[in-house]
Amino acid sequence: MKAKITFKGGIHPSENKNLCAEMAIKDFPPPDIAVLPLQQSLGAPAEPVVKPGDKVRKGTLIARSKGLISSNLHSPVSGEIIAVRKSPHPLLGEANAIIVRSDKTDEAEKDYTGGNFSIDNINPGEVLELVQNAGIVGLGGAAFPSHVKLNPPPDKAVKTFIINGAECEPYLTADHSLMLESADLILKGALIIKKMLKAEKCLIAIEDNKKDAISLLRQKLASMDNAEGFEILSLKVKYPQGAEKQLIYALTGKKVPSGGLPMDVSVLVHNISTVFAIYEAVYLKKPLFERIVTVSGKGIKNPANWRVRIGTSFKTLINHSGLTEKKIKKLIMGGPMMGLAQYTDEVPVLKATSGILVLTDEEAADFEHLPCIRCGKCVEVCPMGLMPAEISKMVERGRIDAAKGIGLLDCMECGSCNYICPSGTNLLQYIKLGKYEYMRKKNAKR
Amino acid sequence: MDKEEKKNIGYLAEVTKGFIKENPIFILCLGLCPTLAISNLVENAFGMGFAFFFVLLCSNITISLVQKLIPDEVRIPCFIVIIAAFVTVAGLLMQWLIPDVYARMNLYINLIVVNCIILGRAEAFASKNNVLRSILDAVGMGIGFFAGLLLISAIREITGFGTFLGFRLIPQHIKPVAIMILAPGAFFTIGFLMALFNLIRMKKGKVSK
Amino acid sequence: MLKDKHLTVTVSPHIKTALSTEKMMWIVSCALIPASAAGIYFFGFRAALVIAACIVSSLLSELFCTLLMKKPATIKDGSAFLTGLLLALCLPPGLPLWMCFLGGFFAIAVSKFAFGGLGFNIFNPALAGRAFLMGAFAKEMTSWKTLRVFPDGITAATPLNLLKEQGYDSLMKVYDSHSYLFKELFIGHVGGSIGETSAALLIIGGLILLFARIITWHIPVSYILTVAIISYFTGGTFGIIFHLLSGGLMIGAFFMATDPVTSPLTSKGQLVFGAGCGILTMLIRLRGGYPEGVCYAILLMNSVTPLIERYSKTRIFGAGKNG
Repeated sequence: MKAKITFKGGIHPSENKNLCAEMAIKDFPPPDIAVLPLQQSLGAPAEPVVKPGDKVRKGTLIARSKGLISSNLHSPVSGEIIAVRKSPHPLLGEANAIIVRSDKTDEAEKDYTGGNFSIDNINPGEVLELVQNAGIVGLGGAAFPSHVKLNPPPDKAVKTFIINGAECEPYLTADHSLMLESADLILKGALIIKKMLKAEKCLIAIEDNKKDAISLLRQKLASMDNAEGFEILSLKVKYPQGAEKQLIYALTGKKVPSGGLPMDVSVLVHNISTVFAIYEAVYLKKPLFERIVTVSGKGIKNPANWRVRIGTSFKTLINHSGLTEKKIKKLIMGGPMMGLAQYTDEVPVLKATSGILVLTDEEAADFEHLPCIRCGKCVEVCPMGLMPAEISKMVERGRIDAAKGIGLLDCMECGSCNYICPSGTNLLQYIKLGKYEYMRKKNAKR
Repeated sequence: MDKEEKKNIGYLAEVTKGFIKENPIFILCLGLCPTLAISNLVENAFGMGFAFFFVLLCSNITISLVQKLIPDEVRIPCFIVIIAAFVTVAGLLMQWLIPDVYARMNLYINLIVVNCIILGRAEAFASKNNVLRSILDAVGMGIGFFAGLLLISAIREITGFGTFLGFRLIPQHIKPVAIMILAPGAFFTIGFLMALFNLIRMKKGKVSK
Repeated sequence: MLKDKHLTVTVSPHIKTALSTEKMMWIVSCALIPASAAGIYFFGFRAALVIAACIVSSLLSELFCTLLMKKPATIKDGSAFLTGLLLALCLPPGLPLWMCFLGGFFAIAVSKFAFGGLGFNIFNPALAGRAFLMGAFAKEMTSWKTLRVFPDGITAATPLNLLKEQGYDSLMKVYDSHSYLFKELFIGHVGGSIGETSAALLIIGGLILLFARIITWHIPVSYILTVAIISYFTGGTFGIIFHLLSGGLMIGAFFMATDPVTSPLTSKGQLVFGAGCGILTMLIRLRGGYPEGVCYAILLMNSVTPLIERYSKTRIFGAGKNG
């Protein structure tokens, strides 16, 4: 099927991406104290391999993956382990974390600047091991361990490899700035994955509001070796263009079946930042201990894209960026559509933290929850073709099974329905509650 | 509702329960068909109320007297026969006393045979209680039905015709709301009165608790 | 420092569109201004009084009901105002004002609040109010006699009335030619209810709603198209233009049938809903006892909305055989 370049439904929130006027990535100084929650990715938390008092350097392995879906953790600074204890966690409220005190020397485990890798004699097993050792997870937000994704079962060969550069969340410009800074390196990373999976095509999809990144990547691609099968596509600007299933549909016309994975339609999707991290892991043997974070929102005086060490607390970043005089309402990890509101700024940057937003009263909406007037706008915008108003009403009345019957579990929680609802109904809150209740009932049955 | 509790309520309560607490029209929602059909004139309501009261009283007395004689398996046909006999009596009486009202509503009078309040009281009450209580129940239910009917028909006649028992209450030049004497008007009136009665009952329930 | 600021914690999303229910109601009301103004222009000051009476009575009834039911005051959300305005626009301009008050009260108190308030009503309140008045005061609701403001054009009966009761010939006796009749219908220089005469201004209002994304095209298009098809097969080209422009079709298709609360959620359902309205409207116009059928057609379709919805569920992305 032909590419559609977009999907059905979706919304057009004001982007606010220009808050970060300066696109260049700035290096954020290593923190004095790094807090590294063991649970960085989906699945099981990692198991610490250090104990308080141990000396570590930048890039030292401090916790090892445990179980199939889990990832390694490395120290982002050089210094001393001072504790392994419960600390605030942006997703879980509170979780076990390794605390490292920096000795301010920033001494690295090894030199991560130069590196070599022979792309022509690529060995998939070796790449997989490098990725796994580097502790790479999906950096777009879901934080699924990358080595698991890169190792599909033999009967589900990947034909099309998609790199997601849509960055459809408003405010966030981390991926955009990375594309501008390291376009050629991203292409190198893409080539590694394409080669190791023996994919026929590699599509790099970027929303049309990042024209400079599209032209730069096209330019770099023209001068690259092994460029056959590569294509850079511009997508219609619409939220949630970067959602996996919608992206695949927009680019290939294939629909991932309900409850299925991209590999069911022979596709694999990775985020731009993840591809870059894979490049670093394979070429430079550099573990994942820093990432690009957008610090923005109208509450921030100097919004910018920072290269931040994992474990730096939000507070340090926000204090460094300065607060405006406006009345602040919310602190969010991630974008304004799917990000998580934080109750404290003591939480650390995780591998999956793509943005930190400080939203003021004027930006952050009040949802007053008036009665639904059945306008059908949520149905119109739902990219999954659901009827959010109906599902949320079912959940409200406690009819979880009926809600499941009309697609409760198909919801990917993009929040489009909630955004568009003129009554300010908390549709997504009810849907999330419904999913939670469903899982609870299911687990209770076992 | 179990029997024990019923036995214990006083004789006065046996009568008054039919007024509001167990009002046949607004709370039990029984006998709605004649209510909807004939409640557009107060005069009709009187005719219907009288016939209904007479039949209910007589059938309740008879059924409570013969309750031991009737086999359980055929009790409903027996009740119907008894009720039908009294309906015929009532019909003949009305034809003699108020022939023009009867002419207007003889169909509905005859339909009292299958009126669910009368059969319902026979089945649920008269066949299980003694004569005195059955009389009191019939009086209470009869008054409750009569009063309800009167209320509805008064509202409908005043708004729909501008009259009460034929006397003009609203000046001729003000156009009456014709829809109130049509079927929709009956539904509106009964609906809102039901809401009102439920409100009263809820308020009472709260106070007694 | 963020420490001493009170951070709000809610589930995502954290931003929201600027289009609220309240705004939607006011935009619809604004879209009705041209048609209302035309009504006042054609029918005189009396029409303005009817509009004012309906709006005031709707607002007062809303206030009364919210106080009675101890609900939060919703008088400002514009829905009662809109109901009053819509009700007035489908009433004859000579209707006694106390009847307008009664209609407004019925629309809000009985057909909206008795069902639970905004979002829970089964029937379009404005149309229910009109149907109530029609049942209560049939003579006043169909008397267009007092409208001789412009002696040259506006006749006693609406064109639909003329066609139904006296036939095509007497319609042509009043309006000499087809083109003259169509012109008069288009600009609204004919007898009828206050707001339903000027097809041109109602279409402008409808386009405003479409462009403001208050309504989608599905209901108006399927409604008007169905009427056009049926009228073509029963009356040829004259039938199409006549039936589209006369009576309450335009206000019904753009403003009444599209009432979100009482129409189906999905676009599929909305197409069915519109087609159903069209069929019923034409059935009443051609075969029924009334000259005009828009009001009852929409009310009848309102009552089957839940049924339509049951059979017009959206297709879930990636579900089913072909995905």
